[in-house]
Amino acid sequence: MFCLSLIEHNLPLPPHLLNRPLLDAIKEELERLFLDKVLSNLGLCISIYDIRAIEGGFVFPGDGSSTYKVVFRLIMFRPYVGEILCGKLKASDANGLHLSLGFFDDIKVPVHLLPHKSRMGDDGIWIWEHECGDLPMDLDEEVHFRVTKINYPPIPVEQDANASPFSPMEIIGEIYGDGLGLLSWWAD
Amino acid sequence: MKTLQANAGVLTNLEVLEFLRARGATSDPMGCLGAVAPSECKVFDYLVNTPACNQTRGAIDEFLKRCEKFKLAKAEKFNIINLRPSNQALIDPIIEYCEKRLTKDEARGIDEVQELVDSVLEVLPPPPAKPDEEMQDLEETPTAKPMEEN
Repeated sequence: MFCLSLIEHNLPLPPHLLNRPLLDAIKEELERLFLDKVLSNLGLCISIYDIRAIEGGFVFPGDGSSTYKVVFRLIMFRPYVGEILCGKLKASDANGLHLSLGFFDDIKVPVHLLPHKSRMGDDGIWIWEHECGDLPMDLDEEVHFRVTKINYPPIPVEQDANASPFSPMEIIGEIYGDGLGLLSWWAD
Repeated sequence: MKTLQANAGVLTNLEVLEFLRARGATSDPMGCLGAVAPSECKVFDYLVNTPACNQTRGAIDEFLKRCEKFKLAKAEKFNIINLRPSNQALIDPIIEYCEKRLTKDEARGIDEVQELVDSVLEVLPPPPAKPDEEMQDLEETPTAKPMEEN
């Protein structure tokens, strides 16, 4: 689920941080830039793991800030395709299920990746028609799902006023198969 | 910004949890202001409710030693450590081509899948019991066999 990424970045350090110890100031700037942001194809940045190297400190003409070349490692949330994760069922509609991990909400399970023979009930809750009976997929239940794809859609240039907020990282999951789906279906 | 190495190492949930704890994250929402950012607090809250919160490095090393004979991929071992599946049904989606790689021969009494599940139950501690769960106590004896679904 989590992995480290080694990044090199030319970081301008604003003048109001120049009275601080260098390492702290650089760490604060890196956190401001990267923490809780999605980096394309790298995932969601959770935390700065460590700083490996700091070089430079040049002041460019006309600029009040000094620029450092920093090499550092970030803890990224980037599940691999095929990983099994456990999330909570946040919402369900005609397009499928929406799951959440607390810190990451854009997980969708589209209709064709639900268990075979699922139908939508009248109250908007999906129900799996199993030979032992109907198993409803109630909200706020723990769900095990397999990651099938991670999308990094490009930032839209124009958006409708009432469109849903843009999500820079989307995980498509499936709960088709033994051991997947609500935890209560498989627990002892 | 230049990516020198997109994958410089994989971390188990336990390692991320220990890292955040060392930075000063706690379950108390007011306690961790200043030391840890709110987004890191959310990750900490999620991890504290997974099996990772009771694990130790010793248990993980012991589990890795025990499952060497099953020849699992590194990603599969990490997935098992993070998820702690407690029965065969839950471990089945983690291992690719499970039936071909882990033999199950009832005539000769070999059931490698069950051996793997038993290693998980013995070595990795169970996840914290949820307060609103009226179902069975999660701290049961580890040798309880999975019940047949009728």
